[in-house]
Amino acid sequence: MTQFITAVLTSLSSGAIYALMAIAIVLVWRSTRVINFAQAGQAVLTTYIGYTVIQRTGSFWVALVVAVVSGAVIGAVIDRFFMRPIFKRVKSGPIVMIAPVVATLGLLGIIQAVIGFVWGITNQSIEAPVSTGGYKVMGTVIAFSNYNLLVLVFVAVAMLLLTLLFQKTNIGLALRASAYSPEIAKLSGIKVDSVRTLGWAIAGASGGLAGMLYIPGYFLYPNAMDLLLVLGFIAAVIGGLESLFGAVAGAMILGFAIIFSTTYISPKLFFPTAFIVLILVLLVKPAGLFAPKKSRGA
Amino acid sequence: MKKAGKVHKPTTTRKRLFLFILFGWLLLILGDRVGDLELYQGSFVATYALAITSIVLLTGYSGQLSLGQSALMAVGAYAGALSIFNAGWHPVVGLIMSALVAGVFGLVLGLVAARLSGPYLAGTTLALAISLPTLANQFPILGAEEGISFDVGPSPARFGEDFSQYKWFFWISALAALIMVFFIVNLLTSRYGRTFKAVRDNPVAAQLSGINVGRLKVNAFAISSGVAGLSGGLLVMLISGVSPSAFPLSLSFSLLGAAVVTGLYSLKGVILGGLVLVAIPEIADSLVSRIGGSEGFTTVLPGFIVSALLILAVVFTPNGPGHLLKKHH
Repeated sequence: MTQFITAVLTSLSSGAIYALMAIAIVLVWRSTRVINFAQAGQAVLTTYIGYTVIQRTGSFWVALVVAVVSGAVIGAVIDRFFMRPIFKRVKSGPIVMIAPVVATLGLLGIIQAVIGFVWGITNQSIEAPVSTGGYKVMGTVIAFSNYNLLVLVFVAVAMLLLTLLFQKTNIGLALRASAYSPEIAKLSGIKVDSVRTLGWAIAGASGGLAGMLYIPGYFLYPNAMDLLLVLGFIAAVIGGLESLFGAVAGAMILGFAIIFSTTYISPKLFFPTAFIVLILVLLVKPAGLFAPKKSRGA
Repeated sequence: MKKAGKVHKPTTTRKRLFLFILFGWLLLILGDRVGDLELYQGSFVATYALAITSIVLLTGYSGQLSLGQSALMAVGAYAGALSIFNAGWHPVVGLIMSALVAGVFGLVLGLVAARLSGPYLAGTTLALAISLPTLANQFPILGAEEGISFDVGPSPARFGEDFSQYKWFFWISALAALIMVFFIVNLLTSRYGRTFKAVRDNPVAAQLSGINVGRLKVNAFAISSGVAGLSGGLLVMLISGVSPSAFPLSLSFSLLGAAVVTGLYSLKGVILGGLVLVAIPEIADSLVSRIGGSEGFTTVLPGFIVSALLILAVVFTPNGPGHLLKKHH
């Protein structure tokens, strides 16, 4: 019984972290039709910035705010000064599909190398701001702590804020309009390019939050977020790449599938489970679970 | 460079066969003149060139973006290793099995892949690339983390005493790569190969002209997987054993990068791509030894150079260096 409770709670907190990364992927995909592999680099870079802030000030909370803000700034800068010029140059031919992937992969490598130059490649660690000792349920300690609860709460609040932003504000409307139909949005007077950059900024902030919440359980090194990027990407694809709700749902499905198969069958099934879930979903719905009816021509 | 307006005569199969044999013969002569280290590096160049060929075929010619080429290489590598180590077959049969089994695996995967486009296919193949090597840990016959050995044996006695193991590796990998690339080039210049380009450039128009786009994509996936499988078999021959760690995700990315740097739409650059992959760590090493630097610096420098090359390639020669040359003339 305790094993089951632990599995459910762990699935929730893992799924929550995947969801932040999946949202970052979806936001960028919606606004610029790019799968941003550099997100892993951006997120780990903001976490290193947060780490430096912790070294200076000793406060996790200040570091969290700095990391989220710098994530947004880095995201916007990358779109404005890196992706936009590339799109201006690469316009025609089949390379259009591949160029953004290759460009963001290259950027990922550059960011990770720069982190290696600046901070070194040895493992660092970030102390969690609250207790990481597991709760006691019916006399046994389970693998769910105050810290996991904190992660869940933070992710829930972030989701809520994003939903409000997208559904209740004019900025949200502009974001949705530019994602849905850039031409018509432009004709209606929306500055599509700036809105896209804003999409990158929100995604960067989301990635920054993911990094600061994920790393305290692990170590900080230049490649620390690669795995999370892959899982976030898989979750986003399961959810259909278009909706934030889909991203969260995909992340939760992935979290539960992975934790339950590794708890009950074999710990070695971590990655195979991710693949099997993805392929099963795509066999039934080739464009993900929550894709819009209208085909969008990737 | 041919002059504008002059009718381009297509290279015939016989002429191409002659060129390939000539090139192979030159390689053999070259192989006699250089040391073991160069031979060993040359074997890697041939192996990577083959892997890049599989990417050019899949992405450049059929427009499907796969991030899981390392997984298909792993399938080929394990198939070959099992044939040689467990079944006790001849190494050549083992390498053929590498290509065949990976091809069949790719055929099954391609049936799924043909339904997917763009990011969905990229995501699926990415998931495959991280999950497949860890699956090897599940089955004792695949040797878990330590893996299983892939031994092609010493060079045949008739080549003499001073015929080194490295030269033998070089002969096998160069020959296998040459034969495979020859086959692929012929395929792509055939009537059937032209339908690949038609589908890549305009799937709708291709379909209207009576081309079965779905089947073509599946076939492209299967053939590309076979080529990747053979290169996987060659790769583990060079490191004399196959284990999950031989096929990290980064291998897929490096290969894709090299394919983009040397041109996704032409097979002419694949050897250059292989050279780039082998040379960059060397260049980084010599740079570090010249300017000095910490251990961290040495470790990240190759990654930095590869990434910078990738970005420069996408920005300046998105269609490959060959394309740039053509434009200037």
